[in-house]
Amino acid sequence: MMRARAGAGGTWLLGGIAAACIAIMLGLLAFTLGSGLASLWPTRVERIELRGGEILFGEVVESDADSLILRGSEVERIGEGYRRLRRADIATRNAPPDAVVVQLGDGRRRFGAADMEVSLAAPAADGVAEVLRPNAMGPFARTGVFLRNLFAFVATPPDASNLAGGVLPALVGTVTLVLLMSVLVMPFGIATAVYLHERRGPGMRIARGAIDTLAGVPAIVYGVLGLGLFVHGIGGGVDRWFHADRLPVPTFGSGGLLWAALTLALLTLPVVVVSVEQGLARMPASLRAGSLALGATREETMWRLLLPAARPAVLTGLVLAIARAAGSVAPLMLVGMVKLAPASPLDGAFPYLHPSRQFMHLGFAVYDAALASSDVIRGVPRAYACAMLLVCVVIALNLSAILLRNRLRDRYRALEP
Amino acid sequence: MPVNPVTCDSILSSDLVRASLRRRDRRARAANLFVSAGTALVLAGLLAIPLYLLTALASSHAAEPIEWPRLGVLFAGSLRATACAVAVALPLGIATAMFSAHFCAPRLRAWLKPALEVLDAIPTVVLGLIATASFAPWLKGHVASVLALVVVIPCLLLAAGFAFGAPSRRDGWLPLWLLPLVIAATTLTIALGSTRGTTLLVPSSPWNALLVGLALGVAAVPLVFSVAEDALFLVPRAHAQAAFALGATRWQALTTVVLPAAGSGLLAAALLGFMRCFGETMIVLMASGNTAIAGFDPLAGLRSLGADIALGMPDAAPAGAAWRDLLIAALLLLAMNVLFGVVAQFVRERLRRKLSVESAA
Repeated sequence: MMRARAGAGGTWLLGGIAAACIAIMLGLLAFTLGSGLASLWPTRVERIELRGGEILFGEVVESDADSLILRGSEVERIGEGYRRLRRADIATRNAPPDAVVVQLGDGRRRFGAADMEVSLAAPAADGVAEVLRPNAMGPFARTGVFLRNLFAFVATPPDASNLAGGVLPALVGTVTLVLLMSVLVMPFGIATAVYLHERRGPGMRIARGAIDTLAGVPAIVYGVLGLGLFVHGIGGGVDRWFHADRLPVPTFGSGGLLWAALTLALLTLPVVVVSVEQGLARMPASLRAGSLALGATREETMWRLLLPAARPAVLTGLVLAIARAAGSVAPLMLVGMVKLAPASPLDGAFPYLHPSRQFMHLGFAVYDAALASSDVIRGVPRAYACAMLLVCVVIALNLSAILLRNRLRDRYRALEP
Repeated sequence: MPVNPVTCDSILSSDLVRASLRRRDRRARAANLFVSAGTALVLAGLLAIPLYLLTALASSHAAEPIEWPRLGVLFAGSLRATACAVAVALPLGIATAMFSAHFCAPRLRAWLKPALEVLDAIPTVVLGLIATASFAPWLKGHVASVLALVVVIPCLLLAAGFAFGAPSRRDGWLPLWLLPLVIAATTLTIALGSTRGTTLLVPSSPWNALLVGLALGVAAVPLVFSVAEDALFLVPRAHAQAAFALGATRWQALTTVVLPAAGSGLLAAALLGFMRCFGETMIVLMASGNTAIAGFDPLAGLRSLGADIALGMPDAAPAGAAWRDLLIAALLLLAMNVLFGVVAQFVRERLRRKLSVESAA
């Protein structure tokens, strides 16, 4: 009896730890998405009267037991309006419904009472982007502003300080990089998977050993290879041969989209190979035997029958590779990712895709806004907003991979005798 | 010689058929060439990593001697972060795997596995952001509460199971029943801790090995879970059923039959978890403070090999001493990972062979 009870205790311990894992996972997801969305929600404008008689308008961005930080009007430049106030000094604190926020074209924000609107907007070079009265808004109007902020965040470029505006170039950079990587990785991944599936002998054993061993190599080591071999080695050589007129200004000899895509392609190769090979291995042997019996060659069987039938496995490999590539930041820090790219790698000028250009990336935008920003209080919410976008992209891709895999299983069930 | 039954011509002499055969042969050769050349390029790319590092090191002519003490401190920093992370990831991952493989209701298991795979897909830069921007300021005042949680939750679960639990068919859904209990106990402990224990165990910096360990450990849980779960699930059902037939409870079958059989698979899970944590860069870069501090204090900051490469390499001149030291750091990372990876692969392969022989017999 005691032993059975001890067993029940152990079972509960395991179950509780599994529950803790579920809670941690859901908590992390909810926290990221919640923080990201909250950073785009319109904030309250507060009116604070100090004991000395001074009246301040602004948003409270941080508060603790005995003080709070107020972001007031930014008169000259972005990130200058912060002020720490001790709670003991505050006489009254309220949110008058007629308080206005004037959002200037360059990302600065100014706060004030209703009658100050004109004077707040006056000395702005870039003009006024938006005038809001957030305290007077109902929930519907707030949701409208939130949706507008979300759209602006996704669809506009950042301003020069990288503290305000959207993340469109980073989004475009991430997507371009990942697409270029897919184009590079898929043919090679499929060729290697077919080789591992078809051939026997020492070549196959070496290839399998290399892929198994190097699948676990840290991402940053791929970055070292990318910088040392691709950028300095191959890129430097290409510059000496083909772009000698422009030296010492590097063309391919500095980090760029092409080298980053190549590095990521190497990094994601094992994922594709393993996925495609598993798909081929699960094909029923009768399929292959039937095709050979009808007179098809081995190659025709592979390329006309087995690979098309394993299409979901190929797609799963592609989607997993894309998800892994979109989430890996460390190797890209070495091979051409920058805080603010002077020109997009994708534009309207021939040849439309410029593989030697530097690019921006959502993952690096998270890192940069959180740790290297000139205005940390504005940077962290911005980092969460970028993180939310990144997590949404990656999770959508992974879920589609899981759904594809399930469809694949159903297909096999139909193929079984 | 084969003959066409309709026209009575010999088939192979027909121009049409011969042309078609030639075309098919050409296509087959092209396909073969594509496969071989693609694989050769892939191998060249993968093997280029160790080859490049070694040749670049051998051809380096920097005059300054290698800074071994600094590299040693970085290596120790990586090890300290990894030790903290493994201490978090192993208990969580392996316990969840044991539950999932042995107790879990099939419908819950069908959700649990993909859910943890999704957690694996969250980019590490996001975990680093949460750790450094939101968790670090909180953790600074609550180290004692976190340590108390590690003791309180398992004791509470054991005691509750001992008092109220009985082996039953509903055990498969246990995590969902226990979720509120775990959350309530956590909030209560933290609430108590923030009134009493905020001055106990205050770390010297908000960015320390404990924080890195927690974030990195959570990131490694999915990998440890999936490897351990595969190993436990590979143990033939007949083993556990034989134990049930002799009157064992589920718990007894797990501890006396399944765990010993899958032991080396759990070892492989531990090795792969260690490998994953040792090579991870982004979380350590963001949450460790990046000050090279030696020693074993889990409440002090650290700087790891990977973070050093990510911070130093973009600015290092390709012929200088700093570049060479970073290459050595990369080589150290690579060597550790290949070593642990090969051992883990070997252990897993042996387990698979042993269990497949047993299930066939």
